Amino acid sequence: MAEDLNWAVGGEAGDGIDSTGKIFAQALSRAGRHVFTSKDFASRIRGGYTSYKIRTSVDQVQSVVDRLDILVALTQRTIDENLDELHEGSAIIYDGERSWEAEIPDEMTAVDVPLKSLAEEAGGAIMRNIVALGAACEITGFDVEYLDEALEKRFGGKGSKIVENNKEAARVGQEYVRENYDLDHLGYNIETTDNDYVLLNGNEAIGMGALAAGCRFYAGYPITPATSIMEYLTGRIDDYGGHVVQAEDELSAINMALGAARSGARSMTATSGAGIDLMTETFGLVATSETPLVITDVQRSGPSTGMPTKQEQGDLNMALYGGHGEVPRFVVAPTSITECFWKTVEAFNLAEKYQTPVFLVSDLAMSVTEQTFPPEAFDMDEVEIDRGKLVDEDEVDEWLDAQGHFRAHAVTEDGVSPRAIPGTTDAAHMSTGLEHDELGRRTEEEDERVHQVDKRYRKVETAREQEDWDYREFGNADAENLIISWGSNEGALVEALDYLEDDGIDVRVISVPYIYPRPDLTEEIEAADDTIVVECNATGQFADVIERDVLTRVKRINKYTGVRFKADELADAITEKLSEEVPA
Amino acid sequence: MSSDVRFTDFKSDKQPTWCPGCGDFGTMNGMMKALANTGNDPDNTFVVAGIGCSGKIGTYMHSYALHGVHGRALPVGTGVKMARPDIEVMVAGGDGDGYSIGAGHFVHAVRRNVDMTYVVMDNRIYGLTKGQASPTSRSDFETSTTPEGPKQPPVNPLALALASGASFIAQSFSSDAMRHAEIIEKAIEHDGFGFVNVFSPCVTFNDVDTYDYFRDNLVDLQDEDHDPNDYEAAKGVILDSDKEYQGVMYQNENSVPYHEEHGVTEDMSEIPDGAPDDAMDLVREFY
Ligand SMILES: Cc1ncc(C[n+]2csc(CCOP(=O)(O)OP(=O)(O)O)c2C)c(N)n1
Ligand code: SF4
Repeated sequence: MAEDLNWAVGGEAGDGIDSTGKIFAQALSRAGRHVFTSKDFASRIRGGYTSYKIRTSVDQVQSVVDRLDILVALTQRTIDENLDELHEGSAIIYDGERSWEAEIPDEMTAVDVPLKSLAEEAGGAIMRNIVALGAACEITGFDVEYLDEALEKRFGGKGSKIVENNKEAARVGQEYVRENYDLDHLGYNIETTDNDYVLLNGNEAIGMGALAAGCRFYAGYPITPATSIMEYLTGRIDDYGGHVVQAEDELSAINMALGAARSGARSMTATSGAGIDLMTETFGLVATSETPLVITDVQRSGPSTGMPTKQEQGDLNMALYGGHGEVPRFVVAPTSITECFWKTVEAFNLAEKYQTPVFLVSDLAMSVTEQTFPPEAFDMDEVEIDRGKLVDEDEVDEWLDAQGHFRAHAVTEDGVSPRAIPGTTDAAHMSTGLEHDELGRRTEEEDERVHQVDKRYRKVETAREQEDWDYREFGNADAENLIISWGSNEGALVEALDYLEDDGIDVRVISVPYIYPRPDLTEEIEAADDTIVVECNATGQFADVIERDVLTRVKRINKYTGVRFKADELADAITEKLSEEVPA
Repeated sequence: MSSDVRFTDFKSDKQPTWCPGCGDFGTMNGMMKALANTGNDPDNTFVVAGIGCSGKIGTYMHSYALHGVHGRALPVGTGVKMARPDIEVMVAGGDGDGYSIGAGHFVHAVRRNVDMTYVVMDNRIYGLTKGQASPTSRSDFETSTTPEGPKQPPVNPLALALASGASFIAQSFSSDAMRHAEIIEKAIEHDGFGFVNVFSPCVTFNDVDTYDYFRDNLVDLQDEDHDPNDYEAAKGVILDSDKEYQGVMYQNENSVPYHEEHGVTEDMSEIPDGAPDDAMDLVREFY
């Protein structure tokens, strides 16, 4: 494995931390290096500690580690917060001219750069972060021209003057370090490759998946960390004849999305915790009216407003069981950023093929993490679209009853009824949340009720048979130790395999992207000596459903600090769990 | 769309379960007539209904329809119209549905000015839940949940609409069949959000706001030389709490409906068989 470099910038919210990090990540990606980023931010716009970390390597990276090589510290707190990750070879770039006296441990290399004065020289104090990036390039032996490319991408729209000033700021930062420090002993020398990577986060991948899948309507209400899906689609969806509405609340958002879906558009809404609660009112209506709708929940730390900018996988029960009465639905949970794209495409197909709500369950860690991929990871030629039993004018006749009424909820063997959208001649019909007959008309007749309930659940059974409810697998398939995970924990787990291997521990990792229906893991669990379910919540919601499926107890690793798993930490936790007794 | 559509084509063969004499019969007949008169047919019409006696209207009419959850009909209508600007959208519900649980949506649907017609069957009571106070009930109206009256002033839905920037505000009376249908027709023809509050008496639970009461007290703006394009005049009649009016109170003739304002013109139900041809550009954006 090639050498990693771990870089971070930290300061107060409002210091431009996010854009500084993003620019450096983009420069590394331009240089053909893989990048994995993580952000720590508080729920406020100004003030409060914020950081942006980048782990980069020529190999693929998919997790964070407890190590920092280069730190751009805009405040003392940045140093204090990261002390345990800094080591003897770490270099800390800071501005000694600022009012604070930086306290930097002796064994680390302090690189005092007058960021503000140099930025002013280059054209404005606002560019002090870019000066710091120039300094970082010098320390790491990274060609500043890649930074130029990232600056062009970032500021190109604002005119060439701004771009030139920023490039100049990077140059002065670089030169200042070159003239005043000799840092060769640190031994950093960033290797580059000819590869062209794309750099994106999970929410962007969901938005891109929606566009690829033909989504034309999106309604949402802003909420962290789902909003960036709406921001991505706004503007872009219009290029395909679609539209985004910012609704007055989540109740409205899901009902708008339902209306558009009922009219034949591929339609989606996305929210998080509190918003999912509000949308729950309409789940049952979506399911009983058999409307194809994709509902995305980018989970964050709950309950209530909880920790809105922190990671958690606590809404699984909500997705599985939310809503009154019994509601058939699919729950799909992407396990990586590429999967965010592919599972979104799949969600739209499932929704239309089975005319059900599909929950696409992601999480905060995935939504804000940026990662590099070869562009072929999102090969648009591979995107398939299946609109299910959408009937046109010519097919309507097959589905009319003796009086000429369209049987929109026809009881069929596979549970799937024909779907006619407004404008289809002779197929006008009623859709309702009330229990109804085949025509969509209210009924309380006992047999009808049972037929319709059975029919709706039969769709799920049909899907169970027809679709591939598979899992992804890593490590050694014959290992006696089985680790099961869902959602964004996959990356850290895959990397933890390396640490475990070093310690001579052999494991098989199963990463499950389907929560309902889900693959039957009975055989896998029975074949293993030890099974551990890893998830970011306190109670082990996925472990609960696995135990119920397989009728056996599993071990659990639960993290609910608000921070995602790190690879090294996970390896330690697994080692420890393996030595524990299985719960009785 | 065929020109020989009759209003009965909008009738379903389901018998209404409304109480004999309920105002909703007249309200519905007027809606069906107005739809037929404006050249619509069941296959190009979408009726969204709320919850309440009033909300049952979607069941008794024949068209594409959705009967949703309590108070959320307007957002559904908005979604339908956005996806299908070619479809005629009509949203119907009660005063509880629209001005209580759905009040937030009402304000925003009005200001969005989506091109649809919103008919509220205002009986100043909760009918389906058997006679509790509604947001338009008089402050001294005694009901099972307000034995001494709600003791709070009723909502003035017309004023709420006006304050929210409505482009069309009207009121009608369900038993004045001709005028009612005519007013709904104007709302359908309006480019934007056509809001009609309809006095639709509940003969079972409201013995105050009765047919006789409206017959005796209703002032028709047609007879008053009211100019609906005159905002100040509209404000005058809308804020006049001493009288009950019928007619179009306000119409902004320069109204531009939401979908036109936002350039939403395409039928969103049609999509390519796979990803769009230029979809790799979406990926390249992340280089
Ligand atoms: C969320 C929710 N809360 C309460 C109800 C019960 N409910 C059904 S109809 C209704 C009131 C209807 O009143 P209105 O809108 O005035 O219609 P009307 O029956 O008078 O036509 C209520 C409260 C419900 N269906 N859903
Ligand atoms: S209860 Fe009132 S509103 Fe409901 S059907 Fe009877 S008369 Fe009409």
